[in-house]
Amino acid sequence: MNTRIRNRLLRGTALVVLVAGVAYACKDFLDVPPQGTLNEATLANKAGVEGSLLAAYREMDCNYGSGGDWSCAASNWVWGSVPSDDAHKGSNSGDQQPIYDFETYQWGVGEADAYLNGKWITVYEGVVRANATLNLLDKVRAASPGEISDAHANGIRGEAIFLRAHYHFEAYRMWGSVPYYRATDTDFRKPNEAPSAVLADILVDLDSAIALLPATPRNGDKGRVTSWTAKAYKGRVQAYGGDWPGALTTLREVKATGPFGLQDSFNHVWTGFTAYENGPETILAYQASVNDGEPNGENSNFGERLNFPYSGSHFGCCGFHQPTQNLVNFFAVNDSGLPPVITAADTTAWNAPCGGACSRDTNFVAGDKTWAVDPRLDWTVGRFGVPYKDWPAPDPSWVRDASYSGPYSPKKNAHESASGSESAVGWVPTQTNGVNIHLFRYADMLLILAEAEVEAGVLENARAIVNQIRTRAAAAAQGPGTDAASIGVPLTQAGSVYSLSEPWADYKIGLYTTPWTDPAFARHAVRVERRLELAMEGQRFFDLRRWGAAAQVLNDYVAIEKLRTPMLTGAVSFAARHAWYPIPAIQIDLSRVGTEERLVQNPGW
Amino acid sequence: MEKKTIRVLATVGVSLLFALTLYGTAQAQETQVSGTVTSAATGEKLWGVTVRVKGTRTQTVTDQQGKYALEAPSDGVLTYTMIGFRGTEQSVGGRSTIDVAMEQSPTMLQEVVVTGYTSQRRADITGAVSSVNLDNANKQTSASVLQRLDGQVPGVTVEAGGSPASRTTVRIRGISSFQNNDPLYIVDGAPLQDTYLNWLNPDDIESVEVLKDASAASIYGSRASNGVILIQTKRGGGGTGVARRVTLDVRTGVASPVKGYDSFLMLNSLDYAEYTRLEYENAGLPVPTNIYGDPNNPTVPLYTYADPSTITSVDAWGRPATVNDAGYSYPNALIMPGSAGTNWWKAVFSPALQRAANLSVAGGGADNAYLVSFNYLNQEGTAAFTRYQRGGVRVNTAFTLDRVRVGENISVSREYNQGNVDYNNVAEGGILGKNIVSQPVIPIYDIAGNYAGGKATTLGNNNNPLRDAWAAKDNVGTNDRVFGNVFATLDASHGATLTTRFGFNFGQNLGHGYSPINPAVAEPTFNTSIYENEYSFTQWTWSNTLNYVRSMDRHRLTLLLGQEASKNSDRGASAGCASLVAPDLLSSRYIQDALCSSKNVSSSGSASALLSFFGKVDYNFDDRYYLNATVRRDGSSNFALGNQWGTFPAIGAAWRLSRESFLANNSFITNLMLRFGWGKTGNQQIPAGRVVAQFGGDKGATFYDIGGTNTSVQTGYRQIALGNPNMKWEENRTINGGMDLSFLDGRGSFTLDVYQRNTNDLLFDPRLPGTAGTASPAISNVGKMKNTGFDFSIGYQGSLGAGTSWSASFNGGHYKNEIVEIASGQNCFLGPASLRQQDAVINCVGDPIGSFYGLVADGYYNSDAEAAPFASSGAKVGRIRFMDLNGDGQITNADRTVIGSPHPDFSGGLNLGLRHGNWDLSATVFGTFGNQIFNAQKYWYVFGYFATNVRKDLLTDSWTPTHTNAKYPKIDVSDVYSRQFSSYWVENGSYVRLRSLQIGYNLPPALVRWIPAARVYVQAENLFTITGYSGNDPALPPPVVSGAAGDIRDQYRGVDQGTYPSNRTITIGITTTF
Repeated sequence: MNTRIRNRLLRGTALVVLVAGVAYACKDFLDVPPQGTLNEATLANKAGVEGSLLAAYREMDCNYGSGGDWSCAASNWVWGSVPSDDAHKGSNSGDQQPIYDFETYQWGVGEADAYLNGKWITVYEGVVRANATLNLLDKVRAASPGEISDAHANGIRGEAIFLRAHYHFEAYRMWGSVPYYRATDTDFRKPNEAPSAVLADILVDLDSAIALLPATPRNGDKGRVTSWTAKAYKGRVQAYGGDWPGALTTLREVKATGPFGLQDSFNHVWTGFTAYENGPETILAYQASVNDGEPNGENSNFGERLNFPYSGSHFGCCGFHQPTQNLVNFFAVNDSGLPPVITAADTTAWNAPCGGACSRDTNFVAGDKTWAVDPRLDWTVGRFGVPYKDWPAPDPSWVRDASYSGPYSPKKNAHESASGSESAVGWVPTQTNGVNIHLFRYADMLLILAEAEVEAGVLENARAIVNQIRTRAAAAAQGPGTDAASIGVPLTQAGSVYSLSEPWADYKIGLYTTPWTDPAFARHAVRVERRLELAMEGQRFFDLRRWGAAAQVLNDYVAIEKLRTPMLTGAVSFAARHAWYPIPAIQIDLSRVGTEERLVQNPGW
Repeated sequence: MEKKTIRVLATVGVSLLFALTLYGTAQAQETQVSGTVTSAATGEKLWGVTVRVKGTRTQTVTDQQGKYALEAPSDGVLTYTMIGFRGTEQSVGGRSTIDVAMEQSPTMLQEVVVTGYTSQRRADITGAVSSVNLDNANKQTSASVLQRLDGQVPGVTVEAGGSPASRTTVRIRGISSFQNNDPLYIVDGAPLQDTYLNWLNPDDIESVEVLKDASAASIYGSRASNGVILIQTKRGGGGTGVARRVTLDVRTGVASPVKGYDSFLMLNSLDYAEYTRLEYENAGLPVPTNIYGDPNNPTVPLYTYADPSTITSVDAWGRPATVNDAGYSYPNALIMPGSAGTNWWKAVFSPALQRAANLSVAGGGADNAYLVSFNYLNQEGTAAFTRYQRGGVRVNTAFTLDRVRVGENISVSREYNQGNVDYNNVAEGGILGKNIVSQPVIPIYDIAGNYAGGKATTLGNNNNPLRDAWAAKDNVGTNDRVFGNVFATLDASHGATLTTRFGFNFGQNLGHGYSPINPAVAEPTFNTSIYENEYSFTQWTWSNTLNYVRSMDRHRLTLLLGQEASKNSDRGASAGCASLVAPDLLSSRYIQDALCSSKNVSSSGSASALLSFFGKVDYNFDDRYYLNATVRRDGSSNFALGNQWGTFPAIGAAWRLSRESFLANNSFITNLMLRFGWGKTGNQQIPAGRVVAQFGGDKGATFYDIGGTNTSVQTGYRQIALGNPNMKWEENRTINGGMDLSFLDGRGSFTLDVYQRNTNDLLFDPRLPGTAGTASPAISNVGKMKNTGFDFSIGYQGSLGAGTSWSASFNGGHYKNEIVEIASGQNCFLGPASLRQQDAVINCVGDPIGSFYGLVADGYYNSDAEAAPFASSGAKVGRIRFMDLNGDGQITNADRTVIGSPHPDFSGGLNLGLRHGNWDLSATVFGTFGNQIFNAQKYWYVFGYFATNVRKDLLTDSWTPTHTNAKYPKIDVSDVYSRQFSSYWVENGSYVRLRSLQIGYNLPPALVRWIPAARVYVQAENLFTITGYSGNDPALPPPVVSGAAGDIRDQYRGVDQGTYPSNRTITIGITTTF
């Protein structure tokens, strides 16, 4: 009996020990690798480096994973357009309210912070991806030198360094004083640098990129940057820093020997037709893609998907980023086809408010041709009664709440029906398309060069550039056609003035025929041209600030525009502190080391 | 020889420890008396009953078979006492065998409780362990057993929404981690870390124990840091002499929400017209006239929207006056009438039927036991088009073959839900949010009977909530689960028992659904889509234990040694497809090329493993002095080699004063024990695989059309998560002091526990600056948190003459949570999610987790002069006045501070019972006090964000120059200033609620011939609530929110984003046994 029990006990104990022993001896039991992910070693090869670089390009526009709402849009419509006199937030009251806070200069309220943070996160994720590419490249080069050829290695390095400079420039334009991050940085709580130091760092990177990059895109990929991209970008950065002689030298060289040129016609700049995309005018563009197998249309120009006419239109939603009456009025021309605003007599009358001589406000309804207009108006602004590219003409059902932000719709980012560049998938397929978002185009560069020429006193060069731009603008006005060839109709030339009459508008545009002798006039004319050419492209606010004109222009704009769109009565006045956007409070908090906040808030916020 | 040696060694060992107290006084020998003590209620043999010769110190204790033997004078009297039972006396009267059946004491529950791989006598427990009174708990009808614990267990909070099948959040003694704070559930010995226990049939449950402190819980070391809830299911009653017992429970009831938005939102369209007028006029803006016409004489419009092509004439305000009905076409030319006032709440919510039936058959013989139960539950949601059903079978059997006992306990269940039932985390996207969004002027249906919506300008981004509920009706989910274990036990004699148990948990969740077009709204969708999800998981746990029990004289020693291995893995796939070719054809809703376009698939998986060794030793002397020690060592695959193992020790001690001579004959005190425990537990509940950096890509986020093709992208990669090889176990040290008192022959009882829990090395992913990129931050051991508190229960059972008895018990708890340290240099971090671009929650050192955050509101600006200094920030007369805390002359984000806490100062439950003859009455009241609610719904119903519906009293109680002491700021559509998150949004969340009230009647056995016994009852849940909270329901479950490092819902407590309110439920039921 005793023996039997003891044997059982022994057997039982043995079982426990055995089981425990087996489990423990099996060292692999606790060795469970992560499922469904890649590790660094998997990517330490050419494909990994190239893929990492592509991700760095991708961050130029929004996706569902990016920071916040529409703050990440490649076009900067929230930051460069809505706070300027170009555009309203649009839609109706309440929808995406933080954008209204930016429109009305209430940048310090709580809900604005998340939007600012979205932009911050987006640009620094771009920097991180660029730096990660550089680090991975170094690793692969060290471990397997033959894996990537020297030429490709230089190209990859140059592209990544260029992108790093670009993302920092985006941060600079927002906040001025930001930290600069390179591949070797491991401390992500660096203090912010003075704006001038940031610009200097950007220029260092651009110079490296210029040296490393090939003159033509690597692999023939249209989306890749080249040494010419970097050079042109360098001129832009120099201009932002007020280094006019530097900008002049750089941009003259690009103009003289670079590969860029103006697209033959203005309507071929912002387009869904692949035949016109990535033409000579493209310096840097976000390459939008649709129907590429991604189920939500995220690779389209995703940051723009609110910026389409409202439910009465084909697009259906959401009526954001609506052009202002101020902008529309700006496109009126005088008998010479020139903007009235350049003539002394009309410096304010061009935008006279209602209640006074506000005829222009109401004249911009289809069929009323009291005033002739610059043909670029109807490539920039959707107006009732005027064909919308090759879509039917808008009517009031295209606008969500005209009493809130006027009757106009954005147009540049819309695709042509005939282009077929519309997504078939996603939440809003009609609002996601393949129209590339220009981050920097040749006309923009030429106009910066024109500014540099003015500052250098070579006014005639500036006039030549402005006339070059205007001549191109005369290549086509909005026509009634429905295919690529007939959407735009050429204007008829009579001396220096081009004109075209359509049922909905008289188009006219003239050249500056009188030599420019007064630098102030030349500067004004270049700036006016810049607004006309680049309206709604997210540049205007940054230009106004760069020119030191923001407070004057924007306070004047609000004073009159609020009579038309009363929601602007909520605006506070544009003051010195609006020179820079507030650094997101959350990022200041996260920059804390001990009790010290490494990021210092911009003055006044 | 061998046997004798062990006995001697054991005796010597323990004798040395307690030599001083070892000896009792020998008494004169008279007669040898022996017998068996059993429970009068169950027939179970009682182990550990103290049998004493009255008036002497002669005593003994019954053994595991309930047997005792001692010498007593033949004319003496024996007393029988045991904690949890009423004491009794027997005169010896010359007998040599005295068998006694003892009655259970009213305030104590099970005598033997399961406390971790083994059972313990209730009286021997030195840690903080609460047993749930299931009689009380089962007077609630929720689908989940967890929800029935509300108000039943001191120190345990239970939160759930009112939707059918809603998830439950259980917290034991506060919150110890930034990440997952769910307790560990052990169901029939198999561990589960899953907050979702709805698949478990509450009627199958035999007992629920809650291990609250580390000295009790540390035997589960690794995962016990948030406490352990032990659930035992019912088993067959082998050996009890009951051959077979069939029990049938049937009940049916009606549920309706305790409160609806219609009780305080505007229901009259013209009230809303007046609100709109004020909104615009006060802002100096023209009043929109497209809906109500003349602002000074508003009228309900004939049509809120008519497609322009159908309008034949308009009135003076441009509103459609006549329309051509024949021009209506769906979905492109819609015509919607105006409504004098739609009650959207009533449109969506209505009383819902709930039914349940449970049948069990149990029995067994001398060497076997079995139980089979069947359960069916059908809960309609109070929201339209929602339903939850559950069916399950449980089988358990056990066979005894000589000294071996083998058996299994397996449940198979299927849950079926329809219409996205779990609305706990809906915010503005769900039907509750849409309910607020909907203005009263919008009709439910358009002129053709299709769902209408807020298509016209100024009607907001309204989705018709009834339409949304309808659109989700084809969203169907099923959860299939096989859960159980097989075991074998070997009684190896000498008091040693070997057990091996293999527990398993296999499940599969399937879901599919359909989204129809939505044309009647401001942002219409003409796309149809379907989805199909599959998720399956496998978890197994194999545990092997050795139990050794030695009882000698007054010494008792138990020893537990064990080993356990466990592995979890899951895989999931989801797919979607848009633009269905034949959307109305149900049989075509499959993801196939010919049926729809744009397929979209993804899949994911995770895997983890745990390996553990543990041991526990318990010693008690004379039921007077207790000492125990536990140690467990766990290895987790979630950590890197070198950091995988953690050691979790605990000790406990107790002193039963009532056994001391100075209290032995106290007529008041039946039992008095002081307890002390200290222990360490761990936490590793983080996502698997976070040791190394993870890389990946996403077609929509890293792929790019570098070639400029417009229609294709090339692969891109990025880092998606930072890794940390140095992560290790999060440790939680708990110290607990407690007291158990029962008095007046066990009629009264009182238990008090005081504790402090310190969590160190918190596993947490401190947010990195934006400059580090968007990869998930590494999880690291930073931060410390502290919880201090107490919990208690007090109860009494009295009688009011023959056949009438009453009982009352009150339990409650208090905890104070404090973040002691975050990452180095970091004092605060914001909560996990923001609401409409604002952050409501912050976690700061010195404050509790999930504190509310915002500006400090201080009345209103009552004059232009008051507002002027802050005009550049947006201040205006009639707006909320904020305090400029940093004194910089502006109101900005820098003026935000901690403005409230969701944690209660005290929460507790009161259980009352009355029994008279065949009648019984019982009630449970639950209350929580001192907690605050961040009423995020004010976005909508106070500030009218997005042109939503608003509170009725805005018209009478908003700021005006003559009504400055107002409840709301001045109505002003342009006011973005006042609605910044501030203390204005924080409200007192205290409430007291009658959770349940039940009246039952036991039918006399002879009444119905074929039913031996039956009980019928009527019960009501949530009959009334006393609260000052202005929102819908102060009982707010935290939404299910996950971050990159796991579950983070505790950073989002007490934020009301539109929670599905609790239900008032009236149920009738019958329980029969035959």
